[in-house]
Amino acid sequence: MKILFVDDERDVEDLFRQKFRKEIKSGEIELAFAFSGKEALNVLGDENPPKFVYVFSDINMPGMSGLELLDEIKTRFPEIQVSMISAYGDSENYDRAMNSGARGFFTKPVDFERLKSEIAEMVKKQ
Amino acid sequence: MILINIISLFLLNYLKKSSGAVEYPAVLNKYFKYGMIAAGILIGLGASDLPPQILYELLSFVLVGAIIYLILYTPELENQKTLAITPLPIVGVKLLEYLIETISPSIYDTLENYLDAASIFALIWAVTMWLNHRKQMKEIEIERIFLKEQERQLKATAQQKSELEMLVAERTSEILKQKEELQEALNHLQSTQEQLIQQEKLASLGQLTAGIAHEIKNPLNFVNNFSELSVDFLEEIGEEVRKMSDSPEKENIIELLQDVKSNLVKIRHHGSRADSIVRSMLMHSRGGTGTMDPTDLNALIREYANLAFHGMRANPNPINVEIQLELAENLPEIRLNAEDFSRVILNLVKNSFDAMRDKINELGDQYKAALKIKTKESKNQIVIEVEDNGPGVPDEIKDKLLMPFFTTKRGTEGTGLGLSITHDIIKSHEGKLDIESKVGEFTRFRITLPKVRVEKS
Repeated sequence: MKILFVDDERDVEDLFRQKFRKEIKSGEIELAFAFSGKEALNVLGDENPPKFVYVFSDINMPGMSGLELLDEIKTRFPEIQVSMISAYGDSENYDRAMNSGARGFFTKPVDFERLKSEIAEMVKKQ
Repeated sequence: MILINIISLFLLNYLKKSSGAVEYPAVLNKYFKYGMIAAGILIGLGASDLPPQILYELLSFVLVGAIIYLILYTPELENQKTLAITPLPIVGVKLLEYLIETISPSIYDTLENYLDAASIFALIWAVTMWLNHRKQMKEIEIERIFLKEQERQLKATAQQKSELEMLVAERTSEILKQKEELQEALNHLQSTQEQLIQQEKLASLGQLTAGIAHEIKNPLNFVNNFSELSVDFLEEIGEEVRKMSDSPEKENIIELLQDVKSNLVKIRHHGSRADSIVRSMLMHSRGGTGTMDPTDLNALIREYANLAFHGMRANPNPINVEIQLELAENLPEIRLNAEDFSRVILNLVKNSFDAMRDKINELGDQYKAALKIKTKESKNQIVIEVEDNGPGVPDEIKDKLLMPFFTTKRGTEGTGLGLSITHDIIKSHEGKLDIESKVGEFTRFRITLPKVRVEKS
């Protein structure tokens, strides 16, 4: 299962690759990283139809925000699931994300147990 | 003889009428009345030719004499004195005529022409005097009216003056009262201004810290996450190393791995400390998200005081505290953000525990820690008091107590945000937090909440 993480912090890649080391090793999941909304859309648009099942995106990013990216993905690739990961866990961001069709909302610091079980659930569905 | 009586009548009538300006005593008016009746009777008797005419004539002279006497010697008739001498010559001539005619009619005949002439002169005199008198009377009357007017004006002025004086006194006291009120308002303004400046400082500091907190949060997450991951990896490495055959190198590696792991645990520990500070700072700056609902304040206090107590007992360094709750019965429900307000109770109670712990460490068993929580109800307010018999707060730090990051706790124990957040929450409930303390005796936090608040839309 292909998962795309979108965050402007580059160390996110190392962190997630290490956190999901076992799952990646076993071939259960495949991770890709993009460091802006625009890059994420490029990655998704490279394959037609894209093989990505799930996108996790930060909200506060320079350029396109995570919420704008969410809207764009939901219009262009409605079958892809999107969840938000943000340091701003206020109800305004939460409501906007959920109303735009986000599957979930994770606040930073990320609860990896919850994230892992969410991904495991998706893997089962595949 | 009729002339004399007519003069009498005329004088009496004039005197009676002149009483309009100056009120005469009743007895005087009675004299005028009887005098006029007497004159009338004498005229009648004189005309009737009934004897003895001589007596009537004599009586006529007596009457006119009495009238003249009355005018001259009555104080009320002072102004009319000239009137008395007006008829005198006529009366004198007539009296002379009467006497001569009575005593010797023959002399009367020879003197008749002189007497007639005297009569005419007397008449002219009388008329002149009369006119003179009238003129005088008019002048007196004018002067009297003038005086009266002057007096009236004086009286009016005096009254006006006293009225003005009263008004001035009234205004003076009013102005004094206003001055006092203004002074009070000024004092109030000054203290409010000081509070505002203090709050403004806190607010800008709050905004700054919120911004910093957010910026720190992301790198801090990396520190925490990577250190946690590394601990996991080290455990895996340890397991792999243990599978290798024993050797001094292996022992050394395991020892070093243990040290690195304990270092990482320390990084993780201090990282989470920093994280809790950052979270408090954010909570501080963020407005309360909960809603204001009618809440049983006593129940909330009971629950959270209990929670704080058991939390304290379960943590390192528990202390023995006697907790007294003096909660006002039948306290009405009050609109509160219960989630936020429970933090207020927790913070204050926890604060007291920490303060009293310091005193126990200092004084030992002889000191018995006691915490008192009271609720009181007044007309428009509800008051909550949290009082401990701990070390107290010195005056010099009382003002700083509510400042963010101000802490008296040693080392890593406090974030310095507890009371600052507490104060913010109370303010968001439109309440007030006062601190009273006596060093070595007690510290009392008093929260005053309005019973009814204007709900913000």
